[in-house]
Amino acid sequence: MIKGSVQPRLAVAASVWLCLSGCSSGPVPTADPITLVVSQGGDPGALNPAVTTSGNTHPVTDQIFNGLVGLSHDLSPIPELAERWAIEDDGRSYRFHLRKDVRWHDGVAFTSDDVKFSFERALLKYHSRTRAALEGLLERVDTPDPHTVVFRLKRPYGPLLQRLDVVEASIIPRHQYQGHDLLSGEPTRRPIGTGPFRFTSYSPGDRLTLERNPDYFRKGLPGVDRLVFRILPNAVTAVSALEKGDVDYIGSVPGPDVARLRKSADIAVVPSTGGSGGSACQDVLIPNLTRPPFNDVRVRRAFAHAIDRRFIAERVYFGQGQPATGPISHLLAWAYTPDVRQYPHDVAVAGGFLDAAGYRPKGNGERFAITFTHASNHQRLAQVLREQLKAVGIRLDLQTLDFNAQVEQIFVKKAFDLGLASYCNGADPDIGVRRVYVSSNIGPFPFSNGASYRNARIDALFDQGTAVADRAQRTPHYVEIQRLLAEEVPYFWLIDSEGLRAHRTAFSGFRLWTGAFVEEVRPAAASPPR
Amino acid sequence: MTVSPSPWRWLLGRLVLAIPVVAGVTTLTFVLIHLAPGDPIIALAGDGGSPAYYREMHAKYGLDRSVPEQFVRYVASVARGDFGYSFMFQLPVLRLLLDHVAASLVLGFAALAIGVSVGFGAGALCAISRSRVLDAAVRSAASLAYAAPVFWTGQLLILIAAAKLGWLPAGGMTSARETFTGVAWFGDVAAHLMLPALTLSLPLAALVANVSRAAVVDGLHDSYVRAMYARGLSRTRVVVRHVIPNAAVPVATLIGQHAAEIVAGAALTESLFGWPGVGYLVLHASLHRDYPLVTAAFIVISSAVVFFNGLTDAVVAWLDPRMRLT
Repeated sequence: MIKGSVQPRLAVAASVWLCLSGCSSGPVPTADPITLVVSQGGDPGALNPAVTTSGNTHPVTDQIFNGLVGLSHDLSPIPELAERWAIEDDGRSYRFHLRKDVRWHDGVAFTSDDVKFSFERALLKYHSRTRAALEGLLERVDTPDPHTVVFRLKRPYGPLLQRLDVVEASIIPRHQYQGHDLLSGEPTRRPIGTGPFRFTSYSPGDRLTLERNPDYFRKGLPGVDRLVFRILPNAVTAVSALEKGDVDYIGSVPGPDVARLRKSADIAVVPSTGGSGGSACQDVLIPNLTRPPFNDVRVRRAFAHAIDRRFIAERVYFGQGQPATGPISHLLAWAYTPDVRQYPHDVAVAGGFLDAAGYRPKGNGERFAITFTHASNHQRLAQVLREQLKAVGIRLDLQTLDFNAQVEQIFVKKAFDLGLASYCNGADPDIGVRRVYVSSNIGPFPFSNGASYRNARIDALFDQGTAVADRAQRTPHYVEIQRLLAEEVPYFWLIDSEGLRAHRTAFSGFRLWTGAFVEEVRPAAASPPR
Repeated sequence: MTVSPSPWRWLLGRLVLAIPVVAGVTTLTFVLIHLAPGDPIIALAGDGGSPAYYREMHAKYGLDRSVPEQFVRYVASVARGDFGYSFMFQLPVLRLLLDHVAASLVLGFAALAIGVSVGFGAGALCAISRSRVLDAAVRSAASLAYAAPVFWTGQLLILIAAAKLGWLPAGGMTSARETFTGVAWFGDVAAHLMLPALTLSLPLAALVANVSRAAVVDGLHDSYVRAMYARGLSRTRVVVRHVIPNAAVPVATLIGQHAAEIVAGAALTESLFGWPGVGYLVLHASLHRDYPLVTAAFIVISSAVVFFNGLTDAVVAWLDPRMRLT
């Protein structure tokens, strides 16, 4: 139920000042459940995870819902709603055997109809990433019995399992949504899932409260009774609330606060490789290849040599990431290779490339000027880049916009010289890498092939990389992709992000990659969960 | 209270004048938020979709129509009393705003109370005491409080009072960990209110201190005050009964000018402290290009400004018999 009625707050207005001056009794807790308070940067809004990829929605809904599969720490598929699966028909069919002991939070049994409904009515229609990937691939979803689902594909597709976790493909209850609008209907305000926590209440701008699902199919989990998402938009406030003990977990730690938090015995600062909505992210500079100067590969190579990634990793990202070596994050270890052309920081080499490209220094030492379009939270990076590029005679003019405005400027209007985006690779290169480089993904939409890079060989290699499920057979295709792209540098890969999270040491068991990150959390000194 | 010729006629006149103001603000807000770069669908649905997907989503929310057409449809729907649904929350925007107005009122009035009482007290004390040291201290503090952005002041207070000393909660309106009832609940809210109310009150306190100091100094040198001394009235009686009430007139005007701003426009303070008020909502909605919510919020805020301006005129007329409501 959405809470937040007017009357209680009006009551506050009437009497709070009386209390400020006269209340003598201190706050007294009325209940003693094990409560975990998580800081949340923004409101999750409507609570249907099958129709959005929003990074504000999924941290909440991923605790309420499940996917057919889960993802292990190395992003390999593990059983979740499906207890096992088989790949048939030369990779054209995936047969999932569902758990028989799963019930929705309202007590109704979970069946294969829910899976079929979720894909056909929600995910393939409204989930932007899942629709883009599976719409032309999935022929149909068969449900031979209540506990079996078969995905029939038009062609073999290796990375399907990585696309079926709770982030990419949450399963929603057919009986709840049938007859309701999936974007705005009542179930989006009172979500019913199969996950470790049940929805209790949501007061926009304040908090969202969940409670332990006692019938959760993973017996003994979750380890806390109540999970509260406290909306704290400001990072300083969130960190201070953690230090004071008002919240138990923050999903990202601002660089300047890391050292201070690490000194606290009550707080653990831990590395994370991703979160709800994305994992294995890379911060990437996007040159506009459709016009000078970046339509010349010599200029791009010069630019790559002019950037000191190590300095940026240390001084801008405060060590929360490492210099990127190519188009795939090192966190996708099976697909990644560092054995590609490298561009070490070298001003002389950069100058040589620019001379060869015809951009010689003018009287003031300047070769040319470009504009860097970026979001306001990257101002520090922008200033560092300006200084580094100045050393090779490139003047960087800064255009600082709010996040949505810069996305539109770069991806939709394409009115930019140099932009910036965080492209999350996801659980598989086909989820988050392919979209950046294939020519079919050039268009006026966000987080597409922003540089407008075209290479038929690259297009073909990405297709070949998904034709089989076996990673060993897929790896050579991605290695070749990385080598080709490193030669042509259609983007400037800055940092493989490795964020930091922090939690009170009174709790342990936070999952640090993606999805249901609270599922296994419990009080640090607790006996085995009930 | 001297009100002429009729308070009802005056009220009607103010209401008629309010209509073009609110309509103008609504139009301007609608046009500006629609022309601002950024796409609500990206914030709502997310990334990585196909062009066809984004086209369909724009059509579903009526964003494929021209801005003038969207405006006409919006005005028609507002005329029917329907302010639309928030893109983000999928809730009626009026319900959302009503849910958040009370929190803003609590914070706003608390800040007003602190700002006015501290500011007026300090300003009047400076004027009456004739102490150069006190005067210099108060004026310096007022300059600092007025010049410092609330965002900076608020962060400083959070770092000291919450993170370092652990005296007060860093954010929110009530405790997230525990559930309180009765008197303890009020105490919990009061504890959460301290820092945001103090932060929001500081610029107003500075203004009020300067204005009230000047008004009291003027009053002390006015001819009527000398006449009262000549008639043998004590200094205390002259100051308390005559000078201070007269100094309240410019302060009341000042409060009126800033009341709506404080109550409805404390976006940065609310966002900083995670205070669930209208200001936070407007900021959140603006960043996510939630057009219906932003437009409706500005209708509410502009109405509040008009209301407080009218209220100020009425209060000033009540305080100063020379003023007339016309």
